[in-house]
Amino acid sequence: MSVENLKAYIESGVLELYVLGDLSPEEALHVEEMAAQYPEVVAEIAAIEQAMEQYAMQNAVEPSADVETRLFEKLGIRDEYEIETVSMPPVYTEEPKIVRLDGSDGKVRTLRYALVACVALLILSTAALFITYNKLNDAHDQIASLNLDKQKFAGVVRQLEFDNKGLDNMVAMNDSKEWATIRMAGQAFSPKSKMNVYWNKKDKTVLINYVAMNLPKTDAEHEYQLWALVNGKPVSLGVFGKLDSTSNEALQKMQTIQEAQAFAVTLEPMGGSVNPTMEKLTVMGGV
Amino acid sequence: MTALKKLTLTEPELVLALQSKDPAVLKTLYSMYSSALYGVISRIITHTELAEDVLQETFVKIWQSATHYDNTKGRLFTWMMNIARNLSIDKLRSKDFKNSLKNQDIENNVSFVDEQNKVTFNPDVMGVKQLVENLKPDLQSVLNLVYYKGYTHVEAAEKLDLPLGTVKTRIRLAIIELRRSFN
Repeated sequence: MSVENLKAYIESGVLELYVLGDLSPEEALHVEEMAAQYPEVVAEIAAIEQAMEQYAMQNAVEPSADVETRLFEKLGIRDEYEIETVSMPPVYTEEPKIVRLDGSDGKVRTLRYALVACVALLILSTAALFITYNKLNDAHDQIASLNLDKQKFAGVVRQLEFDNKGLDNMVAMNDSKEWATIRMAGQAFSPKSKMNVYWNKKDKTVLINYVAMNLPKTDAEHEYQLWALVNGKPVSLGVFGKLDSTSNEALQKMQTIQEAQAFAVTLEPMGGSVNPTMEKLTVMGGV
Repeated sequence: MTALKKLTLTEPELVLALQSKDPAVLKTLYSMYSSALYGVISRIITHTELAEDVLQETFVKIWQSATHYDNTKGRLFTWMMNIARNLSIDKLRSKDFKNSLKNQDIENNVSFVDEQNKVTFNPDVMGVKQLVENLKPDLQSVLNLVYYKGYTHVEAAEKLDLPLGTVKTRIRLAIIELRRSFN
């Protein structure tokens, strides 16, 4: 067949009818013989087929879903199809694993963020703790110094109360007519010392007032002893210490004496002596 | 088997699986081509129930006569489309269809179908209609009859009162026009 004849054959429209299935078996056979002989015919048929296929695809209409169901029921391959779906899980088992991997990746990322947050929190906490510790130390120092102040003030207050009590007694005794105050002056042993003795004229009670005395401080082995001179003889009225911080009583009751011409105080070894040590006569005063 | 899990298969893969009667391939084939084939069928038969019957029959026939398909003679889709077209045209002329049209006689049958197609033009078909309307009217009328209404070119020649050669040429020109619009 000449080129012109082949072209005329292609342009006759018979190939379109062949693709549309609109030829008699004899005519179709002839087209197939031509196709076997001429590649141009094959190419033309392929182009027409593709055009018709695209045309059909672009103008597709979705049938209702039950057509498919009925079709597979009718063909009896539903069972096989179901076996198919049953046999599907092994194929898809890979997928959950991938998802799980993704999930753990996300978890690792989350954990990493959490770790960073934890470290940051730890640093913040440590800093806060350090600052708080320093403040606490300062507070402790302040409390200690305040305590010291408080003790000092307490001591002062105690002293003031003690003095006040003694002074109150002295005032009371002065007001009363019953009490005689004997002022004892410093002697050669301790010229600056002085001390008062209070003697009740009625019941002959003898009192000393720690507030109303100014005697040198005694050492651990010595204390003062009060004497009454009765007709030239010293009579011991008891011992007393210098201001004792444990005792709140400013007044100390001594032994009573019925009569006396003078009172004196000597420094004696602890417990006192039978006779006064005259070298250590501290104060003395007549009635 | 696992290869068939893919949504689409190449044509040689489909043909091989179809001819070895692998049941899974029909599922794939259905998902790939049912709507395209139904598009062809539903333009020839506008009655939904009958059109769906034809679609089912088409796939049954594809399944049962798969071994008759010869890939040297053309594409798989062309073969399937012609099964769908032939079954649709057979249905149009069948006793079933005539019964569904209630006492319509054979002479009036074609014109009745024409009328029915005109008034119940499916919105899905609008794209096609528009494309075909872009064709020259004489090309359009031939393609309408042959592609939409399942006429043979001989019937179309009679209907349009044209020589067979002219009908053939116009079908060719119309398809060339389609080829051009797709490229």
